Amino acid sequence: MFLRIVADSLGRRPRHKLLTGAALALGMGVATAALSVSLDVGDRLAKEFRSLGANLLITPQADSLPLEIGGVDYRPVNAGAYLPEVDLPKLKTIFWHNNIMAFAPILEIRAEALPLAREDGGLQLGSWIADVPLIGTWAYHAVPLPDGGGFQTGIGKTNPWWQIDGRWFSDDAKECVVGAEFAKKNHIKIGDSISFATGDVTKIPAPLKVTAILSSGGPEDESIVVPLSLAQALAGQPGQYRKLYVSALTKPEDDFARRDPKTMKPDEFERWSCSPYVSSIAYSIKQVLPGADVRVIRRVAEGEGAILTRVRVLLWLVTGAALLAAVLAVGASSAASVIERRTEIGLMKALGAGSGTVGFLLAAEQLLLAVVGGGAGYAIGIILARLLGEKIFGAAPEPSLIVFFVIIALAAGVTILGSAFPLRRASRYEPAPILRGE
Amino acid sequence: MDALRTNNRAMFWRIIGRLFGANPGRLFVMLLALGAGAAVTAALLNLQVDAKRRLTSEFRAFGPNVLVLPQNSSSLRTETLPESIVHSVPVSLQGGRVVVSSRLYLVARLSPARSGESFSAVVAGTNPLAFLTGGVSSLPNLSLTPYVAPPTTGRECVVGTNVARQLKAQQGADFTLTNADRREICQVASFYQTGGPEDDRVAIGLRAGQRLADLPGRISSIELTVPGTPSEVQGYINDLRRVLPDAEVRPIRQFTEAQAKIYGRVSGLLTATVAIVLLLTGLCVMAAMTNVAMERKMDVGLMKAIGGSMRRVLRLFLAEAALLGLAGGMIGAAAGIFLSIGLGKAVFGVAARPRLIVYPVAVALTIIVAIISAFPLRRLAGIRPASVFRGEA
Repeated sequence: MFLRIVADSLGRRPRHKLLTGAALALGMGVATAALSVSLDVGDRLAKEFRSLGANLLITPQADSLPLEIGGVDYRPVNAGAYLPEVDLPKLKTIFWHNNIMAFAPILEIRAEALPLAREDGGLQLGSWIADVPLIGTWAYHAVPLPDGGGFQTGIGKTNPWWQIDGRWFSDDAKECVVGAEFAKKNHIKIGDSISFATGDVTKIPAPLKVTAILSSGGPEDESIVVPLSLAQALAGQPGQYRKLYVSALTKPEDDFARRDPKTMKPDEFERWSCSPYVSSIAYSIKQVLPGADVRVIRRVAEGEGAILTRVRVLLWLVTGAALLAAVLAVGASSAASVIERRTEIGLMKALGAGSGTVGFLLAAEQLLLAVVGGGAGYAIGIILARLLGEKIFGAAPEPSLIVFFVIIALAAGVTILGSAFPLRRASRYEPAPILRGE
Repeated sequence: MDALRTNNRAMFWRIIGRLFGANPGRLFVMLLALGAGAAVTAALLNLQVDAKRRLTSEFRAFGPNVLVLPQNSSSLRTETLPESIVHSVPVSLQGGRVVVSSRLYLVARLSPARSGESFSAVVAGTNPLAFLTGGVSSLPNLSLTPYVAPPTTGRECVVGTNVARQLKAQQGADFTLTNADRREICQVASFYQTGGPEDDRVAIGLRAGQRLADLPGRISSIELTVPGTPSEVQGYINDLRRVLPDAEVRPIRQFTEAQAKIYGRVSGLLTATVAIVLLLTGLCVMAAMTNVAMERKMDVGLMKAIGGSMRRVLRLFLAEAALLGLAGGMIGAAAGIFLSIGLGKAVFGVAARPRLIVYPVAVALTIIVAIISAFPLRRLAGIRPASVFRGEA
């Protein structure tokens, strides 16, 4: 009988039920979309922040003080220490290897350059330019990993604001990329060649072909980017580099992250090293690169942390507002659906139903509606979240089962709460005046 | 005729008054739905206007984003600018103040007091010197003393961690800076670590730097932290280029580009979320209201039975809805603005400034939603009073 009454009520007034259900579904749809996006946005934004480039800088521990002004190191070539290139694959073996998005070793030297302009099919010899800053690095380098795979990385990924007009050089070819200012000053175009030499020149070395013009807005505009191996050969330091930029996905630092790992208790240390804080990633890199000094580029890391935290809180607030609106609207709509059924309630009571039975009946009906409406709302919300995610970040958030249960529970709770107040009033109705239509 | 019209109008308002008084429960439900919608609308609109602006000021954490350099300088070491151009840099912007710091770079030899050894390091004459410690915090776990007292004697310096390591200097210790035959004594006021080239430098006062370099009144560069949206920063750069034709004004692309990208993403996200929440809030409120409206069959039937034309009946209900929207909107929007002030405080630490424009917009939107949700009553036009009273429909 109970089920029959419920089924009958649903079948008898499909329009009313549909409207209440629609309100529920829409409200829960907003809630789902907002929740899914909020859950996902931290990771997406953290990736977005990698457009700031590297957040870790690795230098030799025993290095002499760099005399760097405006990005140009004024130290002589033979001063300072170097780090071995062979160790670099180890970066992808640390605990946080999946968070290492890119890295690029740098070896800067100064050399003489001899441009060879390509004119009318032949090569036109220029004159030697002294003291040209060369940046030896990887463009797109496949780092062999110990597990057999490869990892594509290079300066294009650690310094994404470098604009390349042309294409990056191949790491093993005789090619180079010229800074925009340098190219303008010395009339170098893509397709020209440049020879480099250090010390006393006895014969002109094999030239490098210019594959692109680099514009970085920084001091790199006045230098030439060459493959790392060439810079090593010119510096007489095979297999060595001087600086390593690492771009890592991190979690914003909190007070706990800023503590000195040496003063932590073992369980605290474990928690610290199991969170991808920039300092714990720096710590684990230091473990695999002996003799290296791993520094956090504070400007990047802290700015990122501050903004990421703000944006997260902001989105949770918007989600909260969405939930609040959904809850209130759904509550109002289920309250309305109880209020309009006074006659029915009066009739049931006149026929001998107790207040408890009536309440139970209506609650069951509302719950059924909540589950159906909530389920539909979840589907709507997932579609919305997908659209939103794809539009803004180019990737949809993963549908999560937790969100589904949260939404269903929320829908049930809200409808019950929304109907509770009018139900309580309904239980006090006297059947006679209602049936008389008063 | 006039009397009839007055009479009619009086009757109209009397009926509306009755419609409100008839069912307090229903009135409460409708006001709740509309008020909630208005509150969320107002809070989100206010927060959205405010949050974008606040976000740009958060970019300050990244530090300087614009550089002023000597024109055609191949390196900062040789070319300099006159110090007076700092005064032509506009500092007041719509979005906040521009932080200006002028620098003079030179390489000098450092030697700790009472010690024969010395080494070369980059010295940055900096004005104002205290700026260095703003924005870049030192790592507490390096057991370095944080910045304590503001410079007073004019010979304090801030030492980068790498320099400090070589210098083996303690806070308060003196050391000598030498460049050719010029010497400056400086006292370690604090240390700092940024992970950038600053770690390898010693920052001293600009005057001391100029004395040391023998370049009075000259600077190598000006670093500017410009707040604002990406287009505002670009506009500022263009203005600055006009003001300073003899210098090169250059955005630090690493930061300006990333800022533009992140700002675009976050504001897109915010706008999209707010738009969707508003749209669906409207739909929710509408669904709730329509539900209430549908039970008005009896009222409509009665009015038609005693001779009301459908137009007049509809007008009554629309007037009722508009009034409800106005009341719900005014209460809800006020609540929403207070809500957003609290929310702003929670997110940015400073209360969001309420934008007055948000209030009428939220109220207007609520009224529109209320009126639209009363429209399904039009479907009742075809109702036959007799069947309503027989209880058939």
